[in-house]
Amino acid sequence: MGIKSVMNTDRLFWLGRYSERVYTTLKLFSSSFDTLIEQREDDHRVFCESLEIPDIYRDKDDFIARYPFGLDDPNSIISNLYRAYDNAIELREEIGSETLSFIQMAIYEMKSAMRSEAPLLHFQKITDAILAFWGCADDQIDDENTRNIIKIGKRVERIDLYARLRRDRAVIRREIRRLSWRIRRTELIYSEAGLQRLQELADAPELDYLEIIRIVDALVEC
Amino acid sequence: MVLLQHAFCNASDFLTLMPTLKINNQYAHTSLKRVSGIGYGALNYGSVLALSGNCGYNSYTRHEERSSDNRRKKWFKLVNLDKLLKSTDDINGLLARYGVKFGIYKNGVFKEQLFPFDPIPRIIGKDEFSYLERGLKQRVTALNLFLKDVYGKKQIISDGVVPADFVYAASGYLAPCEGIVPPKEIFSHVSGIDLVLGKDGVWYILEDNLRVPSGASYPTIVRGLERRCSPRTFHDTPIEDNRNYPLLLRHVMDFVNTGGISVVLTPGRYNAAYFEHSYLAEQMGVPLVTCSDLEVEGDTLFFTGYAGRKERVGAVYRRISDEYMDPMTFRPESLIGIPHIFDVYRKGNVALLNSPGNGIADDKGIYYFVPKMIEYYLREEPILRNAPTYLPFYEADRKYVMEHFDTLVIKDVAEAGGYGVVFGSKLSAGEKERLRAMIAAQPRRFIAQEVIDFCDIPILDEGGQVERKADLRAFVLSSEEPVVWKSGLTRFSRNPDSFIVNSSQGGGFKDTWVLSL
Repeated sequence: MGIKSVMNTDRLFWLGRYSERVYTTLKLFSSSFDTLIEQREDDHRVFCESLEIPDIYRDKDDFIARYPFGLDDPNSIISNLYRAYDNAIELREEIGSETLSFIQMAIYEMKSAMRSEAPLLHFQKITDAILAFWGCADDQIDDENTRNIIKIGKRVERIDLYARLRRDRAVIRREIRRLSWRIRRTELIYSEAGLQRLQELADAPELDYLEIIRIVDALVEC
Repeated sequence: MVLLQHAFCNASDFLTLMPTLKINNQYAHTSLKRVSGIGYGALNYGSVLALSGNCGYNSYTRHEERSSDNRRKKWFKLVNLDKLLKSTDDINGLLARYGVKFGIYKNGVFKEQLFPFDPIPRIIGKDEFSYLERGLKQRVTALNLFLKDVYGKKQIISDGVVPADFVYAASGYLAPCEGIVPPKEIFSHVSGIDLVLGKDGVWYILEDNLRVPSGASYPTIVRGLERRCSPRTFHDTPIEDNRNYPLLLRHVMDFVNTGGISVVLTPGRYNAAYFEHSYLAEQMGVPLVTCSDLEVEGDTLFFTGYAGRKERVGAVYRRISDEYMDPMTFRPESLIGIPHIFDVYRKGNVALLNSPGNGIADDKGIYYFVPKMIEYYLREEPILRNAPTYLPFYEADRKYVMEHFDTLVIKDVAEAGGYGVVFGSKLSAGEKERLRAMIAAQPRRFIAQEVIDFCDIPILDEGGQVERKADLRAFVLSSEEPVVWKSGLTRFSRNPDSFIVNSSQGGGFKDTWVLSL
């Protein structure tokens, strides 16, 4: 579609970041949900610490209720999903109604999950919707730059999250390699020095997770 | 309820406006071969036969009306709406999926809500639509000529057809537009003309919308969803495909483009019609921009992109009101306008769709004069009729309004969206007196109209059918010549006691099918 506005570039990038954040945290939460049911009252703290989010929850039950659905909690999954939606809704002409519809469906499903006694069933559908969103973006967005900006957002977020979760070197290295390959194909303004530093960090004897987070979050001018 | 003797600007209009169109036998023997072999069952929703047909004949020539009405009734018997109506939940599910919403502010809080959709279509026969098409083209042509004249030579004022008071006192008249002739001399590129079908079978024009008429996107998107849910209905029924609206609009933009790209300008996500802005931009393949994306350099408008890239803009389909377009020319406090865009427009370096200043032609007071404009500019009899209207500005009309207060609907010309409309019969004694006093003190501010008892049309309501008031917004797109989109937005009131169909006041919408045979 030719040149892209500053705002839309920013929105595409953050759409990629928030959709990835919802996807990964939802997977994490879903896998923790089962064990939390029978575990001690404060076991949710491990989850908060691993994601480096403040433990604002009274107890395990409060965490189960508010971490996925807390509209007033900026770290909740639903808050992140709404941020993805807020970006997507203003990108209809960039990403197309079909691609946008999967984010819309994820919102509806999240509302159903809030009312459900078995939210994991709905979380599965949200995960499906986000996967379909990425697939649809790949398949239906003609403009390569548009596709790439969303994917750069997704990669940046994934590296950030994986570093917070202290994932192993192979996983971090793979994500940095994917980011490096993709970012050079966009028209985004980014720090080449930062990119090289990320690659060095991935190869260093000791993984400096905090430095990886700092560098990746400052990599792109968005 | 319609007092036709008061329907027109002068006493002789009633007789002279009775249509005298030529008999059109072109379709009288049209073969219905496509239908004859249909194995589909007859319509299960028997009363759907009354879709548009419960109001008797429509008011064009008797031959045309019989031909069209009979043919439409034949189609109603053969159209299998059953499957379509059973797909209501599926269609509504898809509308939700694609975010077909409108925004509304309640107590200062913005809320997005789905636009209520009713699956029973309004069906308009081919001949009936041809009649409307002729009338709408005629009306929009005259309105465009009026705009050119009123901001130019003002011949219609000097010839005494439209009083100067009505032009210069109207809020829609914009002095900065004086002397400006827009690209290709088109002022109203997209005209939304609101009509109702009276129970007397006559189509009446309720109002003209020549500023930023909205609503075409809803029947456009829903048609695709209806076809997805009930393909057989569309296979078996000859319905004009209305999904070409974005193409028609894009053509208009390209036609008036002064060089550069075309864009859709939106005030932003929190505008009531934001869905439409974004959907039309997507379908036309043009950028959707806000004020921060556009800037004026010298005499040229540019779209400024990421990393400082710039591209010249030659046409702006703007969904922002005139007064907010340019803080340097209009309201200085506007934060959603583009400084100096009006200067670029004045120099002919960008086309603005619709042109600023059009509000003078769709002013509720000027509406009264549109039939006269048609006679004045085109030397033709108006094909479509205005609703019977009185201007308290004229003493005789004021007297009539005061004497027949209870049978009239009073409209404040400064209001829109269904606001500022009151029915005399529904006011308390005190309210009546206050309004009478206001009319006496500010006669230019009000118009009065006979209450048109317009057709009820069926809608689905909790599994059953009920009758509700509805109007039709027809869209006319002007490029080389005016083109009437073969569909329209049918809005209906969900409240059984209400004549107000506006979405902002809880109304819903229907698809409008124009038969092609």
